Amino acid sequence: MRPPALALVVAIGAVGALAAGAMPRTVVGAAAPAGSLRGRVDIRRNVPATERRPGVTDLSTAATPDVPDRRRAVVYLETAPGGAFEEREGQRARMDQRNETFLPHVLAITAGTVVDFPNNDSTYHNVFSLSKAKRFDLGRYARGRSKSIRFDRPGIVRVFCDIHSHMSAFILVFNHRYFATTDREGRYRIDRIPPGTYTVLAWHDGAPRDSRSVTIPETGGVELDFVVQ
Amino acid sequence: MHLRAAFLLLAWSSLSSAAAGQGLPSEPLTFGGGRVVIGGDAAASMAPADTGFFNYGDYEHSTLRQVRIGFSGSVRANDRLSVLGELRVDNFQSVTPFALYARVRPFPRRRLDIQIGRIPPTFGSFTRHAYGNDNPLIGYPLAYQYLTSLRADSVPANADELLFMRGRGWLSNFSVGNLAPDRGLPLVTAFSWDTGVQVTTGWRALDVTAAVTNGSLSSPRVRDDNGGKQVVGRVTLQPVVGLILGASAARGQFARQSLVDALPASSDRRFIQRAFGADLEYSRDHWMVRADTVLSEWRIPAIAAPIIDRPLQAGAISAEGRYAFWPGMYAAARVERLTFNRIAGSTQTAEWDAPVTRVEIGGGYYLQRNVVARVSVQVNRRPGGRVHNLTLPAVQLLYWF
Repeated sequence: MRPPALALVVAIGAVGALAAGAMPRTVVGAAAPAGSLRGRVDIRRNVPATERRPGVTDLSTAATPDVPDRRRAVVYLETAPGGAFEEREGQRARMDQRNETFLPHVLAITAGTVVDFPNNDSTYHNVFSLSKAKRFDLGRYARGRSKSIRFDRPGIVRVFCDIHSHMSAFILVFNHRYFATTDREGRYRIDRIPPGTYTVLAWHDGAPRDSRSVTIPETGGVELDFVVQ
Repeated sequence: MHLRAAFLLLAWSSLSSAAAGQGLPSEPLTFGGGRVVIGGDAAASMAPADTGFFNYGDYEHSTLRQVRIGFSGSVRANDRLSVLGELRVDNFQSVTPFALYARVRPFPRRRLDIQIGRIPPTFGSFTRHAYGNDNPLIGYPLAYQYLTSLRADSVPANADELLFMRGRGWLSNFSVGNLAPDRGLPLVTAFSWDTGVQVTTGWRALDVTAAVTNGSLSSPRVRDDNGGKQVVGRVTLQPVVGLILGASAARGQFARQSLVDALPASSDRRFIQRAFGADLEYSRDHWMVRADTVLSEWRIPAIAAPIIDRPLQAGAISAEGRYAFWPGMYAAARVERLTFNRIAGSTQTAEWDAPVTRVEIGGGYYLQRNVVARVSVQVNRRPGGRVHNLTLPAVQLLYWF
């Protein structure tokens, strides 16, 4: 069974797999009680920072927003093990609005997670999304206040601010827990994967960029690197 | 034909991209590591013929029936200096350098900016909201668009001439100066920017802007052709987040030199426009409300009897609101009134131009974050001119990046 909202993602990812760099290899001596998958996503494509639209109508210089970290990727199993979809946990996550930037720029969650959107700026923000997976509009609220949304359907949710056009972020909602967001160095790790053969995708900046097949052994782990070009 | 073709093209590209689950680009183009940024917007509006010329910004173009394409850009040399500009194309007819100025911040850590060139308007707030997404409706407020019968290059010899032109600002003519019929002046124009120097500074919730420009609110200019500079200032206060209070004032000479030269030697040659404005914006949750008032006064010389014995005054007041009732959908309304003071002619005493009342109700739907489809219905009432009452439905597609 495949999450229907990710079907397109998978199809695009298969194309990206042609540009693959590394092959999966078993990590000898790994002490994981269950199979694990880890590795690195090497972002080699140019990722320009989002700039504010030219403020031609402004009477003064606008504040310089923070630069979002757009080099984060999400690695996930396209097809999860049987029973994974029943493992939903009621979780909570957070996406800050700070210095006219969403933090983090990419948030990966399981379906059913409630995401808080606190405003830490001295100006209004208005978080909204028109994505099919979740359409919402939190309205305008000031510093110190927070509003929340529960994401029930898997898919990709693009998040914007109605006031600041340069603010945007991604929320990837999965129907299972077999995903990980890369850290600053591009590393990721997915634990407690039942043995089996899976398709693994590396998503970055709006689309799956690379796709691999991997076999998770009964013991130990597998290291799988991706190159996004 | 161009208008309809452009509207259909924009509609087709918007709908097809939305249907395909893709999006038209929404981020500005950047070059040179972010030093050069280019944005753009395109708006196509359609409406039945405006036979009363209620929405005309000039004799040929209605704001409800136009295709406007704009490209704006900024080049940041360093922390202290940027150059900004905008090109506009209206109805595929001409390319207009709408804005081109240098922005200097002498002390990068202090709120002091100096802008030199063809600069953004200092007066009021709507002229800086006129950009697509900031205007919740399709029409423009009367104060910033409606053409009175006064002109910058022609003047009535007496009160009767002026009263005869009531409600005909879209194509008025007088006997002194340029005799050819042409469009009149709005209170404050949203269709072109003035040229000069502008200084903005601020302290906490207070911002103050002052500018000296070549033209006036109703008649901005690139070059000063009458030797009279305009002085304009604006103060805004944001006492709490979401509430903005603004006050503006301006004084400048609005007549062209050709008109001044055409006057009898004994006439007063000062054509002064003075204006005061106040505006308010409050937003919270899914609501936003704005109110705006402009009082303008033009001084024109008394030439012949029955003389125009007082400054010509006009006052506009508007209130608008927007409510987002569903993600990506909103409803909006604007109510406004434009009035004029009374002058005495040979046979009547009346407002020197016909007062106008306008109500516009509409809404918008976001096909994607930066593609908006809008509909509105505008009701106009004016006891003067060829058409006294006119109801205009309108649709608009707007795209920006």
